[in-house]
Amino acid sequence: MNKFIALTKIQIKDFFSKYTQHLNVKNKFLGILTMLLPALLILPAIQLALTLYDSFSMIGYPELTITYIYIANVMLMLFAGIPFIISIFFYSKDLRLIATLPVKEDTIVFSKLASVYIYLLAIGCFFLGTSVVIYGTIDGVKVLSLILGIMALLISPLLPMIISTLIVLPFMSLIGRGRKRNMLVIVGNLVLIAIVIGVQLLMTRIQMQPDAINNLLSQEDGLLRLIGHKFPPSIWLTKMIQGSLLDGGLFILLNLAFIVVLKLFAKKLYSAALLKFNQEGSALIEKGKIYYKSRSIGIQIIKRHIAIITSNPTFLLNTVLTMFIPILMFVLTSLTGELSGDLFNSEALEPYIIYIYTIVVSTPAIMGSLSATAITREGKAFWETKVLPISARDNIKYRIYTTLIINFTGSIILGVAAAYYLPVNFTMILLAAAFCIATTLFFSTIDIAINIQRPLLNWSSPTAAVKNNLNIMLSLLLRVITGGIGFLLYKMMSSLGANTIIGVLSAFFIILYIVAIYIVYGIYERKFVDIAP
Amino acid sequence: MLLVKNVSKVYDNKKKAVDNLSLEIKKGEIIGFIGPNGAGKTTTIRMITGIIAPTQGTIEINGIDISKEPVGAKKNFTFVPDHPTIFDAVKGIDYLNFIADIHEVPIQQRKERIERFTKAFQIYDALTQTINSYSHGMKQKLLVSGALLPNPNLFILDEPMVGLDPHSAKILKDIMRDHCQKGGTVFFSSHVLEVVENLCHRVAIIHRGKLIACDTLENIKKNSTATLEEIFLEMTKDE
Repeated sequence: MNKFIALTKIQIKDFFSKYTQHLNVKNKFLGILTMLLPALLILPAIQLALTLYDSFSMIGYPELTITYIYIANVMLMLFAGIPFIISIFFYSKDLRLIATLPVKEDTIVFSKLASVYIYLLAIGCFFLGTSVVIYGTIDGVKVLSLILGIMALLISPLLPMIISTLIVLPFMSLIGRGRKRNMLVIVGNLVLIAIVIGVQLLMTRIQMQPDAINNLLSQEDGLLRLIGHKFPPSIWLTKMIQGSLLDGGLFILLNLAFIVVLKLFAKKLYSAALLKFNQEGSALIEKGKIYYKSRSIGIQIIKRHIAIITSNPTFLLNTVLTMFIPILMFVLTSLTGELSGDLFNSEALEPYIIYIYTIVVSTPAIMGSLSATAITREGKAFWETKVLPISARDNIKYRIYTTLIINFTGSIILGVAAAYYLPVNFTMILLAAAFCIATTLFFSTIDIAINIQRPLLNWSSPTAAVKNNLNIMLSLLLRVITGGIGFLLYKMMSSLGANTIIGVLSAFFIILYIVAIYIVYGIYERKFVDIAP
Repeated sequence: MLLVKNVSKVYDNKKKAVDNLSLEIKKGEIIGFIGPNGAGKTTTIRMITGIIAPTQGTIEINGIDISKEPVGAKKNFTFVPDHPTIFDAVKGIDYLNFIADIHEVPIQQRKERIERFTKAFQIYDALTQTINSYSHGMKQKLLVSGALLPNPNLFILDEPMVGLDPHSAKILKDIMRDHCQKGGTVFFSSHVLEVVENLCHRVAIIHRGKLIACDTLENIKKNSTATLEEIFLEMTKDE
């Protein structure tokens, strides 16, 4: 037990110290403020919980807020947990040391999961925590509900975390063999995530046989059972917070059972997955011939930056997922019948088609904060380009070009796919392209200023570099602010036509892009030179 | 070839890692840079190579100030760090072509040099493999081969012997001598005092961020029969 505590303590300390180091803020007060910045995400979470609470209160079932949010929370945790688990188990640099320590395999697996638990608990605090607090306080303080709610919140990450681990570890050992293992890891995980979302959509669809619905609604807590019937822990958790000891016991027992299952399989998973995967990684793989070919400096540097993303499954998965979320959601909702092609051809939706198309095409720019981690992704290899005879300006420029190439590729794919389904005309495509170019240029350029200001080069796992990195939060905050200004502009121009509005918004982002050029090359070039790897 | 004038590096306005260091290296020289752990060797080399900027002072490489004209200065040297941490998901040959392109080495010369150095270091057959499959020593040899590719005026190495097998260490020493005989300059740090003693024209000793000696071995010994190791230990011992 002592070894487990010691190993877990060091993992958690490492997790938190990396996080605070990543903040890279010298001023103490500013440091605390920056640490609290992600807490801003709680605002939309509160809004969501309040809306749900009001809706369910109107029909007399406020507790369904908890049921609904718990189900969504579990799916979100599965979604967020999978790449994180892959990163800390398979691409973390500390496994080589940990593997040599005299500790049992299950101790290693559980201690590694400690940081995943904290990460998922933070997600849980935003959504489930907010709904528990709202449920326990809004119509008078319910002390018991609050205490049980906090207990449920603390337990809530266990189930999705262990399920993810039990799926991911054997899955990775299976696909992590052979020459194309990185590609298999990407494709495999995309399929896995698609399955998880697909299952979620199927589970949350309330499309049952009318008889079954009537049967469920006729029972006490019928609506609760209707919503939670595909995932009973959500019913147990809801009733636990309402004070049911039996349901509370069931919920806790289920989580304990999963811990026991993981403990039973930990040794097998460790030797079959972790050791095997790491062993395979050291195999010599020969491919191609020795060649002597000259390329321009720009192409070489851009090729290198693209290869940094494509060679690391965590980086690539993160990039692909953030850019192609619309496609993934569209395909899955179409397959599960949530969305039909007729909807887009309806008259009601016609005035908004241009906006939908423009947003879909611009998703890579809006969702993908690639430039905000362009320097960080290099990690300790950052020194390489610093000693080469290329100027700091070019060094920055090629990083931005890399983001532009990746984002525009994503936009073109999305644009073609969306044009196939949406009734768009040539003018719409042109305007969407203008908006997409303007936003891509602006965000790709300004994001690098964030990374120059906060370059994180000493990371122990790729997730720390591209996901658990405050740069991403700052980059998203920038998008929220510019999006807010854009929305205000839209409101001011609401009497104008959609084409004009998109034209003006594109011009707005072009102006921002010119300002961003001045900021990056005028102010941040010097700071780039001062980055010490 | 290399002129370091009154260079200091202060971290966080507190820790003075390098204190008013001045050093001049002439064309054709091999200079060994020695000092205890944490003396400031790597910080000095990182400033010379432009990885970090000095807090004060100037560094000129072949008459070009690296702060003012970094690209011009960097065209004159190549660098091998103390740890072979490079972007390693590419093949060895990709890395060498990358370095050759950045330093604009013509195809015929790069082919001849890549073959010469990688065959000498016995990594030629591994060039089609990805670098992350290389051992520490193989990565080190690849980095040295890459650094030699542009035939630099100044060849800077930080602890180059670490990780090299005796055969490769011997080859590297021969290459360094050969490079100087052809008019090149070599500046390297090392903890292996025998290498410094046998290879260098001059020795620079750094202690607690200050350069405490920079001279030929004979002048440093001052007619004594002591070895460089004994002199080094005496000069750097804590009062």
